[in-house]
Amino acid sequence: MMLTGRFKHALRKPGFAIGLTIVVASIIVALFPFAFAGYDPTAMDYSAINKPPSLAHPFGTDTLGRDVLSRVIWAYRVNIPMAFLATVFALVIGVVVGALVGFHRGIADAIFGRVVDAVITFPFLVLVIAVVAVLGPGLVNMYIAITLVGWVYYARLTRAEVIGQMGNDYASAGRVMGYSNGRIIFRHLLPNAISPVIVYWMTDMALAILLGSSLGYLGLGAQPPQSAWGVLIAEGRNFVTTAWWLSLMPGIAIVLTGLGFSLIGDGLADILRPKG
Amino acid sequence: MARSILTRLLLMIPTFALVMIIIFVLVRLLPGDPALALAGDRASDAELATIREKLGLNDSLLTQFVLFVKATLSGDMGRSILMRAPVSSVIADKLPITIFLAVYSVGLSLLIAGPLAFVAALNRGRWPDSLIRTVFQIGLSMPVFYIGLVLLTFLAAKLRLFPVGGTGTGFVGQLYAMFLPAMSIAFYTAAIILRNLRTAIIEVLDAEYVSFAKVKGLPPRVILGRHVLRNALISTVTLVGLSIGNLMSGTLVTETVFAVPGLGRLMLEAIFARDYPLIQGLTLVFAVLVSVVFLLTDLFQSWLDPRMRQ
Amino acid sequence: MKHLSTVAMIALLAGSVSSAWAQDRGGIMNFARYDGSKLIDPIYADSNPDIWMVLNLFDTLLTMKDGAVVDNLTQSHEMSADGLTLTLTLRDDIKFADGTPMTGADVVFSLDRARNRDLTSWADLIGSIDSVAAEGNVVTVTLKHADPAILAMLATFSTAIVSKAAFDAAPGATDQEKSAAIFASGKPGVGSGPFYLSGFSQGTTMDFTANPNYWRAGADGKPLPYLDGVHFEIIPDDATRVLKLQSGEVDVAELIPFSRVAELKADPNLKMELFPSTRIIYAPINTRETRADGSANPLNDVKLRQALNYATDKDALVALVLQGAGSPMASPLMSSQTPMATDMSPLYGYDIEKAKALAAEAGIQPGTPLTFTTLAGSADDATLFAALQHMWAPIGVNLVVEQVDSATRGAKNKSGEFDIHTYGWTDDVADPAQVVGWLGYNPTANAVGTGWNDATFNGLYEAANAEVDPAKRADAYKQMQEIYAEAAPLLWLYQTPYAVAMSKNVEGYIQLPLGVNKFDEATVKH
Repeated sequence: MMLTGRFKHALRKPGFAIGLTIVVASIIVALFPFAFAGYDPTAMDYSAINKPPSLAHPFGTDTLGRDVLSRVIWAYRVNIPMAFLATVFALVIGVVVGALVGFHRGIADAIFGRVVDAVITFPFLVLVIAVVAVLGPGLVNMYIAITLVGWVYYARLTRAEVIGQMGNDYASAGRVMGYSNGRIIFRHLLPNAISPVIVYWMTDMALAILLGSSLGYLGLGAQPPQSAWGVLIAEGRNFVTTAWWLSLMPGIAIVLTGLGFSLIGDGLADILRPKG
Repeated sequence: MARSILTRLLLMIPTFALVMIIIFVLVRLLPGDPALALAGDRASDAELATIREKLGLNDSLLTQFVLFVKATLSGDMGRSILMRAPVSSVIADKLPITIFLAVYSVGLSLLIAGPLAFVAALNRGRWPDSLIRTVFQIGLSMPVFYIGLVLLTFLAAKLRLFPVGGTGTGFVGQLYAMFLPAMSIAFYTAAIILRNLRTAIIEVLDAEYVSFAKVKGLPPRVILGRHVLRNALISTVTLVGLSIGNLMSGTLVTETVFAVPGLGRLMLEAIFARDYPLIQGLTLVFAVLVSVVFLLTDLFQSWLDPRMRQ
Repeated sequence: MKHLSTVAMIALLAGSVSSAWAQDRGGIMNFARYDGSKLIDPIYADSNPDIWMVLNLFDTLLTMKDGAVVDNLTQSHEMSADGLTLTLTLRDDIKFADGTPMTGADVVFSLDRARNRDLTSWADLIGSIDSVAAEGNVVTVTLKHADPAILAMLATFSTAIVSKAAFDAAPGATDQEKSAAIFASGKPGVGSGPFYLSGFSQGTTMDFTANPNYWRAGADGKPLPYLDGVHFEIIPDDATRVLKLQSGEVDVAELIPFSRVAELKADPNLKMELFPSTRIIYAPINTRETRADGSANPLNDVKLRQALNYATDKDALVALVLQGAGSPMASPLMSSQTPMATDMSPLYGYDIEKAKALAAEAGIQPGTPLTFTTLAGSADDATLFAALQHMWAPIGVNLVVEQVDSATRGAKNKSGEFDIHTYGWTDDVADPAQVVGWLGYNPTANAVGTGWNDATFNGLYEAANAEVDPAKRADAYKQMQEIYAEAAPLLWLYQTPYAVAMSKNVEGYIQLPLGVNKFDEATVKH
């Protein structure tokens, strides 16, 4: 109702519109990579190793003669779901736990506080590496590892927002009228509390791609023959001067996608910010 | 105030206990063990058995845990298998470097993000704002190891403006040698701080500027200084604290690329070597450091904002 | 007059020639390593960064030269006719780095600790020694049984001689504590090698200083080494290490990724060296009947294993992965540099038709999945996998990869939870017994984890270990290599050299086939 009006208003702002375009385009490429990639990303051509960008290969070729443009495009299929799957479960778990703890306080809050502190004081990347090492390589285990560690940040944020919202008119009225706790939490508290969480989620999606790339640098992320941008960049790091296109092209893809999520995040912050 | 500090410190104890339990279990879930990591690719099965015996890996888990707790409480964190030296001295050796890098990069990011956040907020919606935010967005999106490598290749190796990696000697030497790694991290942290600070400044400007300016007739600069700055600082301080805390792990990749012998890289090597005592010791040290940073941040925050004092 | 001037001219000429050739001396060489040493002690060196440095700080009694064992610290050595008593006479001019002379007592001390099972995992190398005694500079080594490899073992790093006095004087209750204390002190005296350790910062740097009392002389008659010292920097990231060399901040960078070799060869300021090594890259194949999860293991059939080997184009792999810097393995059990290596080239030369036929005989259905376990973060392994995936598809194999870290790969090897995984090996001793025991003799390490157990092979190995006649021993090894090749418990890949790049100012630095970084005859012009 009020939101759609604000949404339309936001669309007129160039930043939000650009961000939305980028993300929607990314999703389309992720869904239909075969429509955009000219080559099979795993097709090797031993005669065209490390060739610079040309008409035949707009992004050049890599050490096995594979077309870099096709590999970057097919990586959308890995990285776009990665941004989503690595964050959404953490979001859901975190919001639910954070809301419940923020509402009820008491013993649950005390325990929650210790758990959060324990997880947050752990170096994030180290924890993810350790969990991946335990579970084994591959994307699914990477998502599990990131979720296991990442939910805490959503929970912490939600809890703080819910506590802040406890005094608002809707909630007080709800309590007076005897609404169930669940209804108060989900109908009255969360809708306002959720906006910073959603904004954070947008940033987190860009961060998830970066995290995937750091893991790719260490060899613990997406497994070949899947190509992911981080892995592609890591593959090219011995050729920064001799075959610069190997790392730069996937790097541009990451920047572009990150920019898209970030612009949406900023736009959402504007829409969802309570006025007055 | 003192009471709340005391409470916070006391509350850290169960947190640390939880951290220790998690790491003890997690580390032993990792496939392989220190003996394999040490000599796995050349030692006969008999030799591996001897090594395991010497390292106390054949003790029951309970015994190992009890030893672990005893060791930690007495301050002796055991002997690093990988480094063949006491864990405490190995960590003490590298702690200053990591702290230096963390503080250096946060300092740089504040220097960059601070003024530019103001410029962006005050010019909200116009081209300086968009330009600043886009440039920083790029910094936020590039993997640190790539930025680091590019900086190393061009600024260090080709243009010889900086040494290729390493730490340098002496305070000024370290500032010089570690400028590039600090910048690689700062680029990223600055982007986060900038976005947050800019939003905070905008919110404060929106909320207070209109009403107070008209009511009190105060000159804008005073409003900017007294109210805007103070309130914007509050949320930024949390973020800075969080960033320093996260930096301990964020430096991991940077330290590897720039050959900086810090705790992040040490932790990575310890994991790959399944060096249980070192991993456990490092985790505890990280936990303590980060908790201290958070405590200081919260104290600073409540000093800034009387409303937050419970 | 004319006669005098001729003499004068000759004198002038001789003078100018000898002064023109003045041995370069002095200077500190800056060396970039991929990993740091932890404790450089002959018996405690467990990892390559330690092992390869031992012979710079310590000397062995004997040494390898052109494939034969010769005197090093000894002026003579003699084995009794029954092969049970070895008499070694030390040279008179050996001094430890602090000037104290080396005596037989030091040798006894060193060999006793080197064969002590409680102290070191290298004890078995000289497990045949019964006792060691010394009178002055004459050392008598008594063996329990004839050991054909004992001379080679006395040329191995773990039997290098340390100073008894240094250990007596060092603080600490156990031998290892003393050794660590000596290492940390950075003072000369524990070793007699061309350098002594003068500085050490864990994981960052290490410094060697020239031993002023070194007993070996250089080309100009004065004692080696030519350098004043070596300064090591540890730079684990490959790309950074190369940058450090290209910027001139170090003189030498080791472990150059093969993908950079061509680029560095073309650099006019650098020398790109490929030193022959004993390094072999291979992939153990799980030969057990069932996999760890209970399912039937198709690799149990030797025909499939042979098919995989025939389907692998090793020359193409050398070109793709090593960029030409290497060669296919010629012996199935060791590198070509190892003594008694039989040249069986081509070892399963590329033959796709034969591969298909063998695979069909093994009953392989198209699309049979096999898992290839590689080392996470290794660009070479990633390229290897991509190539093998393509090469094996025509014979019906669908190759899938899992990248794990080193310790996990080791664990999988021990537990048998793998189909095929990458592995590498470098000899530590100049004798094939170590590598052959590792790869094929089941009691050592379950035939490098493959589960292959062949009674004939095992019998040959045990016999060879006791066989003193070199010709008979070589024949036993030849037979073992033939049996092993036929059984194909490994996927044989290639041998790789040590890729070291250095500035044009460096001369005389070499890396020996066993991996030893040799600085004693190196020079650098700054």
